[in-house]
Amino acid sequence: MSASLPPPSSETIVVEELRVLDRRRLRRLLLLAFALAAVLVLLAPLTATDQADSLGVPQLVDRSQIRILTTVAMFVVMASAWNLVGGLTGYSSFGNVAFFGLGAYTCAVAVDAHRLHLPMAVAIALAPLVPAAFAALVGLPLLRLRGHYFAIATLGTAVAVGEVVKNIDYLGGATGLFPPILHRADLLFLYLMVGAALLAVLVSRLILRSRFGYGLIAIRENEEAAGVIGVNTTAYKVGAFAVAAALTGLAGGVFALWNSFINQELGFSLDFNIQMILMAVLGGAGTLFGPVLGAVALELLIQNLAGRSDVAVYAQIGLGLLLAVTVIFLPRGIVAFFGGGSRLSLTHLRRSLRETSV
Amino acid sequence: MMGGSTRFTGVVGLAAVLALACGGAAGGGTAATTTGEDLVIGAPMSLTGSQSKEGALAKQGYDMWLQWINQQGGINVKSVKHKVQLKYEDDTSKPDISAQLAQKLITEEKAQFLLGPYGSATTASDAVVAEKNSIPMVEGNGAAQAIFNQGYKYVFGVLSPANVYLTGVLDMAATLKPKPATVAMLAADDNFSQEVAKAVLDYAPSKGFQVVYSDKYPNGSTNLSGLVANAKARNADIVLNSGHLQEAIAIHKAAKDLKLDAKLSAYSVGPSTPDFIVALGKDANYVLDGSQWTPQVKSTASFYLASQDYVAAYKKQFNTQDDPDYHVAESTAACLALQKAIENAGSLKPDKVRDALAALNVSTFFGQIRFDSRGINTFKPMVVEQIQDGKHHTVWPANVADAAPQYPTPSWSGR
Amino acid sequence: MQLFVQQVVLGLLIGGVYVAVAIGFSLVWGILNIVNLAHGALVIVGAYLTWLLFARARVDPFIALPIVAVVLFAFGYALQRALINRVIRAPLFFTLLLTFGVNLVIVNALLVIFKSDFRSVTPSYSGSGFGVAGVQVPYIRLAALGVAGLVAAAVGWLLNRTRTGAAIQAVGADRDAARLVGIDLRHVYALTFAVAAACAGVAGGLISTIQAITPTAGEPYTLQAFVVVVLGGLGRVGATVVGGLVFGLVETLGQTMVPGLGAGWANAIAFAILVLVLIVRPQGLMGRIA
Repeated sequence: MSASLPPPSSETIVVEELRVLDRRRLRRLLLLAFALAAVLVLLAPLTATDQADSLGVPQLVDRSQIRILTTVAMFVVMASAWNLVGGLTGYSSFGNVAFFGLGAYTCAVAVDAHRLHLPMAVAIALAPLVPAAFAALVGLPLLRLRGHYFAIATLGTAVAVGEVVKNIDYLGGATGLFPPILHRADLLFLYLMVGAALLAVLVSRLILRSRFGYGLIAIRENEEAAGVIGVNTTAYKVGAFAVAAALTGLAGGVFALWNSFINQELGFSLDFNIQMILMAVLGGAGTLFGPVLGAVALELLIQNLAGRSDVAVYAQIGLGLLLAVTVIFLPRGIVAFFGGGSRLSLTHLRRSLRETSV
Repeated sequence: MMGGSTRFTGVVGLAAVLALACGGAAGGGTAATTTGEDLVIGAPMSLTGSQSKEGALAKQGYDMWLQWINQQGGINVKSVKHKVQLKYEDDTSKPDISAQLAQKLITEEKAQFLLGPYGSATTASDAVVAEKNSIPMVEGNGAAQAIFNQGYKYVFGVLSPANVYLTGVLDMAATLKPKPATVAMLAADDNFSQEVAKAVLDYAPSKGFQVVYSDKYPNGSTNLSGLVANAKARNADIVLNSGHLQEAIAIHKAAKDLKLDAKLSAYSVGPSTPDFIVALGKDANYVLDGSQWTPQVKSTASFYLASQDYVAAYKKQFNTQDDPDYHVAESTAACLALQKAIENAGSLKPDKVRDALAALNVSTFFGQIRFDSRGINTFKPMVVEQIQDGKHHTVWPANVADAAPQYPTPSWSGR
Repeated sequence: MQLFVQQVVLGLLIGGVYVAVAIGFSLVWGILNIVNLAHGALVIVGAYLTWLLFARARVDPFIALPIVAVVLFAFGYALQRALINRVIRAPLFFTLLLTFGVNLVIVNALLVIFKSDFRSVTPSYSGSGFGVAGVQVPYIRLAALGVAGLVAAAVGWLLNRTRTGAAIQAVGADRDAARLVGIDLRHVYALTFAVAAACAGVAGGLISTIQAITPTAGEPYTLQAFVVVVLGGLGRVGATVVGGLVFGLVETLGQTMVPGLGAGWANAIAFAILVLVLIVRPQGLMGRIA
């Protein structure tokens, strides 16, 4: 099917090598630029503290923007976590929000004065554990399913867990739980969430470069072959699932404390569910920074459009179209453009379309 | 020693005051007021999304007050009038978005006070933001008591809490002859509906009713025939539902399908809206609901419009023949409470207004507005309405009713 | 005892609606290997079309059904041919995302056109029915069951007794082999989706007579269709019929007849069943291994 090309001349090889070097340098520069921007953005909220005031430093970000940043960080955690299961391992879970909710409720129950009444730090430490245990438990049977079955089974699990939680009075029932309000704690929660985001990226990086990560990718590419060459597919899959659950649960726990209110609708929000998947895919599933990019881009977009009733319905239509376009034309996500993976050229688009169409 | 001179001074003093008052009134009452800066009030509201219909009604309530107060020149704070700018943000009926928008309204749009959103979950989320920013929030559309059990200091609800929504129906039923004996309670599983249901289950036995069937269904269910069949099999005389419009319609249709001949049917949400009658036509007759307010409720308006004037103003402002339903009225009441508190405090400082709210005790077209120590209005009673011949009538309590309850409801085959 | 029979009757009647909803979904999944997350949206489009014809042109809903079927057929054909055909060979997950995007667009377009008001179709005979030994059987629901049966029979006839049906089944069995024998894949795919959309539209028409509709009312039906197909088994029309009726029965009886378990657990039960079946017997009650 492929015509054989003439062997490359020496000049072509040199030019190609130079191009590769340039691309790598470009990629490094871009990474540096993003890192710098991120550091500035993350330090800026410190200008809102009293100490900054007394030093005469002008306030660069207000409370509303700090809130937005916290939300963005939350989605970075969730998208990166989803990426571990959906992007690396190839098991697209449509139910990760279950872990968010479990983490949130764990934290809320832990700090509640009428329930466990534990200190906040302990509650946050518990937040990843319960979802991880749950993931290990249900992961064993669920991860035996593939493709559509796995997707819908995880969706069903998330909905079912939400419904069960709603029916249990100890967990607040239909009313929900109200973790006590912490005053003047905006920055605390921002940096907690950012910390979780950094943790998520760090964990992803560690996994990507480890044997565990290669095993997951092998499972994604060809699970039978992976098993044959000695990868313990069950252990690896469940492991990835549990790690993703822990990270997502951590985000949920911090959210519950920050929001001072959690109920089934918030904790098991189908909106959050689809958003974390979208962000990972839009950004670039299977890559390290793809989910980060996707989370930042999409969440900022959502926040910018929020509040305007004339736009609301059209924003949703736009989201649907964005999905369609991403899936058809941009299957590798935005991050593929940074780093020479693919180029925005007509031939390239045509080729990728031909690969996926009937 | 009290004598003629003191009395003379008293008379002169009184005359002077009277003269000033007349002069002031003749001059339009603004003899000594100036205009100050606009007052910005923020309102996150469900303009789109699952609660958009109710959100639209709440917005109407806010807009009615807005138009009126600005016609008066604004809120009077120690003789300085401040016109009101009411800034809305659409939270698309999502609690997390509502909280973000509440913060945005405070921080970026400089709202000095907040009016509540629609619905208990959104109100709960926004309450946290109000509390964290020490900005008073007055709401009229989130009746779940849980919000008010958290010890918040800056959140006030002008409406009667969820637990009294349907107890009035039971009070009324207890006076009817022959007295119905059994109750069935079908409730949606959201927190507001559950609070309503729990109150009914606790209250019914004390009024001599036996609860023969009680169940909850997932919020938004459309297939409720099974539950209705159960209620019929247990011979429920009174069928109660706390849920939402769509479910009320589904239950009523199922009752007709299955020939459930209840002597009384009361739904907490639904019958008060025009949509209910539009959807069910003649089948909607005889249905009762618990309401925060009806146009017939006799109340004393110490300021703002009286009930009948309110109804007329509503029809004029929104160009409609429909009466305002209670969602509109309770929203206007929230605005009135905030206004009165600001006037009483004589200040726009959040803490002073908050204290004035806590001490507020005023009667309006909506009824008495006064907050208990938790911040919710337990001083205003609920009323019961019934749809009779396609029109709403207030049937309970007797001192505000404009019609007698039609009881018992004739059987389906007999209509 | 009478209550039990009443609940069984109600369960079967609502099961008929579930069958109608699930037939199209099962077809698309079985032949195209697509789980169509926009299926509920197509159902609701059918419901709105029925309502439009009823409210504006006074067409009886049951008479409107063929019209709705034709319109949805055309719409489904276009949708598949223009859009979904482009990702058939992509990882499964992308088709899920694409259909989810389509769902968003359709539902929100409906919101723009119809707003979120609830509409219902109430012909003069709604609410009436007949009673047998105290058990009520409403006419509309009985008719819905009948129509569902007709739809199932029609699809079964199409698949098993026509050349088009044979082509569809061939494509479902082995896409590349089908192409080698000269079957136009793009056309057959679009045709299959079109038939499924038509079925969804008819189901929507039935639903509009039973409950109030609003643009977002289709979401639960997608998930329910999934449960029905998983319960019954992917593959044959008969399996879907069994799945739908069983699901209707389980839902109604489970909600109301099991002491201690209220209707509040309905969704949790449905999904627990779903997950259990998927794990224990993935081919469903009647299907072959999918």
